[in-house]
Order: sequence, then C-alpha cells, then structure tokens
Amino acid sequence: MDFEVRNALIDLNSGDIRKFNTPPDLVEAYLGGRGLNMAFLRHYLHRTGDPLEVDPLGPDNPLIVGAGMLTGTIAPNASRFNVSARSPESGILGDANCGGFFAAAMRKAGFERLVILGHADTPVYILLDNGEIRILAADDIWGTRSIEAQEKIKSQYGAGTVSVVIGPAGENLVRMAAIMTGKKNAAARGGMGAVMGSKNLKAIVARGGNPIEVAQKKKLREVRIQQQGYLMDSKIVQVLRRVGTPLLYEVSNRLGAIRTRNSQENYFEDTLNAEEIEKFTDKMLACTSCVSPCRPRNTLGGEGPEYCTLGSLGANLGIAATDQVIQLNNLVNDLGLDSSSTGNIIGWAMELYERGLINDEITGGPLTWGDYERVYGLIEDIAHRRNFGDILAESTRARYHFPPEANDYLIAIKGLPQSDPHDVRYFKGFALGLAVASRGADHLRNRPTLEIFKLPDELREKIYGRLNNPDPTGYEDKGLIVTWNEDIYAVTDCLGVCKFVTHGFNSPHLLGYDHFSDLIEACTGLQITPQELRKVGKRVIDTERMINADFDLTSKDDTLPKRYFDDPLPARQTKGHHIDRTKFQEMLAEYYHERGWDLEGRVPTKCKEEIDGLLTQLQS
Amino acid sequence: MTIRIHVRLAEPFWRVVGERELEIRLPAGSTVDSLINQLIELYPDLDEEFRQAPPLVFIGDSEVDQETHLEEGANVHLVWPIAGG
Repeated sequence: MDFEVRNALIDLNSGDIRKFNTPPDLVEAYLGGRGLNMAFLRHYLHRTGDPLEVDPLGPDNPLIVGAGMLTGTIAPNASRFNVSARSPESGILGDANCGGFFAAAMRKAGFERLVILGHADTPVYILLDNGEIRILAADDIWGTRSIEAQEKIKSQYGAGTVSVVIGPAGENLVRMAAIMTGKKNAAARGGMGAVMGSKNLKAIVARGGNPIEVAQKKKLREVRIQQQGYLMDSKIVQVLRRVGTPLLYEVSNRLGAIRTRNSQENYFEDTLNAEEIEKFTDKMLACTSCVSPCRPRNTLGGEGPEYCTLGSLGANLGIAATDQVIQLNNLVNDLGLDSSSTGNIIGWAMELYERGLINDEITGGPLTWGDYERVYGLIEDIAHRRNFGDILAESTRARYHFPPEANDYLIAIKGLPQSDPHDVRYFKGFALGLAVASRGADHLRNRPTLEIFKLPDELREKIYGRLNNPDPTGYEDKGLIVTWNEDIYAVTDCLGVCKFVTHGFNSPHLLGYDHFSDLIEACTGLQITPQELRKVGKRVIDTERMINADFDLTSKDDTLPKRYFDDPLPARQTKGHHIDRTKFQEMLAEYYHERGWDLEGRVPTKCKEEIDGLLTQLQS
Repeated sequence: MTIRIHVRLAEPFWRVVGERELEIRLPAGSTVDSLINQLIELYPDLDEEFRQAPPLVFIGDSEVDQETHLEEGANVHLVWPIAGG
C-alpha cells in the first residue's frame, strides 16, 4: 500500500470542504502529528499575508488537528494528536498534544489532519463519518460542560463515537481554554479551546470507517510484541502503571523543587504524594494501544490528577487537602481549562494581592493561599468570564489590568505560564529548556530528565554524542543536552507516541530512533533511518523557530521569569540556587550553536529556504 | 555500640517493603552504603529495585553520597531519581 496522509480543509464561513493528500515529500520531511501541523501552520498563517496580522481569535487563524503518523495502529502508546494555531494566550506558535481515543477514531473515519478556517454564524460541530464530513448545528450541545457534551454526542451517534469538545471556557474565549476528549485528556496548552470557540465550533465528532491500514501487518505485530516486552521491563513503565505521574511529586518535594505559592517557596505538604492520590483511585486507565496505563480514575467522578495539576492547583495555591485538589482537577477538566495555566494565573493573582499590588476593588474579595472555596469559585468565574474571573481569563494578558510591577511575579515565558510544578532554579538544563521551548514555558518540548540520574560518563557520551558535564546544577553542556531531548521529543510528537515511552524521558531504556524506524517501516512502508529521523526533529524545531520569528520573537524572548534569576531558592537541598544571568547567556549561546542557529538564535537562510521550498507543495 | 536510623522510603521502594517508614539499627560509624546493604539484607527484593534505579539519599534536607557517615537518630529519605512531568 502507499501511505497516504489524508487532509480536509474546512471553511466554516462558506461551508466548503476540500479533501487532499499531503505531498509525499512533506510526509517524509515531517512524518505527521506536530511536524506536519507546523508545516501546515506556517503555510496557512502566510495565506492571507503577514502572520502578525492574523487575529488568534479571528477567522483567518487556522485550527489544525493532526494525528501522529503511527496513531491508531498497534505501535506502543500511539494515541496522540496535536492541535495547532496561533495561540490566543501567548500570541505566538500555539500547539497542544493530547492522548485518549479521538485521533485513532479520526483516522478510522478517514482523516489524518483537519485544517479549519473561518467562523460559523451559529454554533456548529463537525462530523467525520466514514470518509464524509458534515457541518451540523450544535444547538443541543452549546452551553454544556465538556463531559455532558460528549455524553450527548455519544447518545446520538452510539458506541464507537469519539469526540473532542470545548467546555464553557472555550465558548467564552478564555485564553487558556483547552480542547477536551474523555473526562481528562486535554489539548490544553496555548488556548486552542478558545480558537475553537472563536470559530463557533463546539465539537469534532469521529465515527465509522475502517481499521487503519498498515504496510506490513505481520512485521508490525512482531515489532509490537518485542517493543512491548522491552518497555514492560522498564521500571518507569511499571511504576507509571501503578500510580501514574503523581509519583513525581515526592521526589521534587524532597529536593526542594516543588513550586509553592507562586514559586515563593519550594516545598509543600506530603498530602499530595502518590499514595495519598491512590486512596482516591479506583482504576488506572489507558489510551489507544498503551502499554503503561497511567491515568487514574478518581472516586470523585473524574480522571486524574496528573503531577502537573497536583502542583498547579495544589502546592502553587497552598491547597493541601488531597480531595480538594482532586475536585479542582475535575472542575477544570469539565469546564475545559488548562490546569497548568489556570493554577499559575490564580497563584500569581494571590501573590499580587498578598503584596498589595491588587486589592478588593479589582478582585471582589480576599485572595488567600489555601482558600479552596474561593479558588473553586474563581475557576468557575474564569470559565464563564464573570467578575474578577473575566480578567484572569486573559491569562498572562491580565497584566494589562495590573500595575507594571506585577510582571515581576509572573511565572511565564513568551506569554505562556509554566506547565509543570518543577522549580528549575536547581537543574540548569531544565531552566534552559523552558527558556527556549517553542510554545513558551513548557517542559514537554525538551526536558532533559536524565540529568537527575547521574549516569556514568560512558553512557552519557553514548546518549548525547560526546562527553559532557554530569553536574545537573552546572551550566556547561546544557545546550547539547536540551537539543538532544528537543529533537527526539519532536519526533515522538510527529509519530503520535507518548513521551512516557520515549528514550530520555525519565529512562534511557525506552523507545528510541531505532525503534521508531522499525515502527514507521512496518506501519507505512517508508524506510527512514534513525539518523534521518533525528533530522526530522531538527527540521520541526527550525520550522517552529521560523513561525515564531514571524511573530517578532527574538533571542531576547529566550529567557526566564525574573524570580528565577533574582530570588535564590529558600530551603532544602536546592537552597541558595538561582540562575546566574551571565552564565544563562553562555548556556543559551551554546544551545544556539548546537541547533546550528546564528548568534541571535536565527535559523540560517539555507535551512529556511529548504523548509519554505518544501512548503510550496501545499496549495492554499 | 549501635545507632538507630529512621528510614523513609519513597515510591516505588516502599511497595517492596510494605512499610513507608522503618527503624534500622546499625553499628556506630556506619555509612549510607552500609544502610543500603542492611536494607537489602532485610528486604532482598530491594536489591533489584536499587540496581535498576540507585536511590537519591537525603539526610534531613541534604542529599548525601554513599560514603556519608550516619549519626544516631538520623532521618534518611530514599527517593527514586526521577524528574519528568
């Protein structure tokens, strides 16, 4: 079979739908998922002229939903898809990655990628049904929360129907609104839910169709069995299966690296340890083709929380009661909010109130650390843009409503609040990673997690390609390490594979380029060597850098929150650590060098021309 | 003469032992290394756990190495080395 990447361009202004396949050269260059999304994003942002003129909440912003190349096959942990657009939260490249079951259903229904333009006059949803696309009225589901919306859709179309939806947050154009599928899976980062809401698009529904064809069925079965065995031997997979990501909390907390009360403190209560979360867990759930079910189903009616949510809605807000943090987790998911941004922005407001930079006049009442009822109400108000919640719904842009000093306490980069609870002042590679991540402060673009392992020199040399400084608190060689992680995570996102089984993400004994190469051949028939795969990763990062350059981002934007430079960590092992500005600039220069960019962090002209040459194959 | 050490085990080590916290007695002058060996002797399944992922060892708020000497009443926390998200 010839591997085809089937797209649909859907114009909600006119109702026109055009189906087309991705040119083969582009498939080999970007594979799928995040990679092809970025190629499409650059192309469609230029469609009407200057990308800077594209209003993130306007009809010209392309909303791109793309499945990974391996998604929906039996390749291990291949469930994922990316949603990309210009972010209404940061104003730059927006891209969110999500698991669950939707992307597999979308491929079965006949489409690997949707590009949605325009704005419907009245609320609609898109139905993908056995190769056909219909735009239908969403009157019955508009105004519902995310779980109810999905239940209504399922009751109408029956078992086997899977949807992505927005909740009230997306409908109300909250800049940190997520796109939800299932009770917890979220394309959360960058406000993609608000982009969907701006198009009057409530849901995308996938049903029907045929099993996903693969090139070499027998070989794929063999590779799957072999790789599953390899993964099941990995300790991290075993532990994730038992408790999920909350296991990370205790480690970071012991170290003194849990962001607490808007990163003023660095450790918190043991009530958020994994075994406390486990008391509220009745089952661990998996996504499509997963070997490491890591999503807790909680006894309070939802799924989760993940480590990131424990941090953002727990320690960061001073809320210690386990059940309360789980309730807040369930609430943000049902409202369709990014838990990371939501927790960060509320924590920021709490510190501003504590410092007297904002008062009751704007907040409508006290903001106190640990005040669960107040936080619960604020989250509802954010999603519905009520009262002070209307200001916080602007995410980092709420700064325009606050005094200028408020910026000093905002834990965000490039307009995006930090994704994870880890305070990066101790591990310098983590700090560099956040500073350069293409969508803003986000650990899932490049986090060099192996830094904590203190691996022997020989192994580090083998992994990263040359000897490097093993001290995670030092500044040397972090450009090398972040670049290495950035490339492989980009490839993982192109394939639709979960990072929890990706080489370098918490273990050196997970799937690497060799494994991916085997899977690609078995699934698609394409022979792409491990070396070529790494070049795909580099191409994706270069393309993202080019997209951000169109939004006037420069090396000055590759930086960190002021607090990370100026305030030493206050306690535990990490006490006294902060980021030295001069050494940070040296680390950044090394990173640019490793990326092959110029001293100002710009992609060389030759690379740009190659990438834009590839993109000319896309028609508007 | 012996010293008494209070040991706290993080995920996933405590699963093997069945207890989150332990009291261990060691000869005076013992190091972290001898504590680890003693734990493996008492709970042989920990051997595989520690080989797969050598723990980060904290005494109080400070990370220490295997040669560090233990003192009477020390609070030792054994933590899995992991830092993802």
